[in-house]
Amino acid sequence: MRRSKLEPGLDDKLGGAMVRFELWRCHQCGQCTPVCPSRRHGGIQTREVMLRAHVGAIDLAADRQIWQCTMCNSCSERCQLGVDPAHVITLLREEAAARGNLPQHFREEAKLFISSGMSFPRTGLTRKMRKEFGLEDLSVTDETMEELRHILKATRLGRVKVE
Amino acid sequence: MSEPCYLFSGCLIPTRLPFLERSARLVLDRLGVEYAPLPDATCCVEPIGLRSLGYDTWLAVTARMLSIAEEGGRDLLSLCNGCYMSLKESAHQLEDEGTRQMVNEIMSPTGRSYNGGPRVRHFMEIVNEKGLDEVSRHVAVPQTKLRVAVHPGCHVLRPSEVCEVDRPFSPEVLSNIARWTGAEVVHNEDWPRCCGGGLTGVDDAIAMAILNETIEGFKAAGANCILTPCPFCFAQFDLKQRQGIPVLYLSELLALSFGATPEQIGLKYHRTRFDP
Repeated sequence: MRRSKLEPGLDDKLGGAMVRFELWRCHQCGQCTPVCPSRRHGGIQTREVMLRAHVGAIDLAADRQIWQCTMCNSCSERCQLGVDPAHVITLLREEAAARGNLPQHFREEAKLFISSGMSFPRTGLTRKMRKEFGLEDLSVTDETMEELRHILKATRLGRVKVE
Repeated sequence: MSEPCYLFSGCLIPTRLPFLERSARLVLDRLGVEYAPLPDATCCVEPIGLRSLGYDTWLAVTARMLSIAEEGGRDLLSLCNGCYMSLKESAHQLEDEGTRQMVNEIMSPTGRSYNGGPRVRHFMEIVNEKGLDEVSRHVAVPQTKLRVAVHPGCHVLRPSEVCEVDRPFSPEVLSNIARWTGAEVVHNEDWPRCCGGGLTGVDDAIAMAILNETIEGFKAAGANCILTPCPFCFAQFDLKQRQGIPVLYLSELLALSFGATPEQIGLKYHRTRFDP
């Protein structure tokens, strides 16, 4: 694959020495690919993503492949060289999300987490069922939300544009 | 585990599947596991979508919950594969002093810091630790009619250098526990499969194709029930599956075998009807 001008020096941006090490260690043997459940149904091509990340040939503002990963960790488990493709995909997604490239589903989820501290909505049915089964009502307190806001302010999820 | 622990039920179970929490608590009570809900908990920054939007956010939010457990001097007990792997891997990353310092700096305005200590445990791990003798002592209604296809799910096993519940190839813990309740195991996964849940809502076509591939062969093997210790897999099988095989979350199978009634543990809330 030829070096692309899309994202020159992509590897330098991906979270420092560890990821560079992951990328350099990859020998393109391709064992990550047949174990990938998404690949078998037309989704992400892990080996190709590893190569593209290495040479900087991914358009992070538009790439869709990286969002077709289920994060099942099969690739990382299978890799005999101890590279961690799922982690590389995670960090590629992080960079993509910072450029506004993320699925609507995750945007909604992030919005919910930032506003409520939970990733699923608490509904009337939630309260009804918890009561039915004698479980204490669920609440993230204001103090906890305040702590969460401190963390979000200092970290990347807090900077993702969710609107 | 003899020491009391903090129960962390996550997001999906407490909001949409509280009946799973009911059966899980029932089983923990029977097995003599002492627990209290983790105070001041939030979502674990689930490791499929959210974590990949902010890796540092994930580290800090999970470190915050680990620090709460550290302060209380208790281990964390998770009912969910996603939460288990999320917290467990975070604790693993935070063994590195530099990472811990970075995260503690992020957490400093909250007045918390994490220095290690609490172990992160999975519900299936606790049951397995209790062992055949202790578990079967409570089995009042052997589930001999069940022919089970076991589906451990990804994040209780992978990455195997972090997760400690079972081996990553041809895992056996879930099958063993199923047999302790009297059920027959008719289908096992050598390379544990993905349920496709991670792409539901993101790319539904691929998610469905993965789900179908995973349950292919369950019926041919004669399975009349799918067993999983993960609420995400549970939801995927229960809501999206078209083959109509009922699914049981691990604590439901145990609770039924311990003599709980279907009403007690809310089996009526299953979308794919289960007739015990």
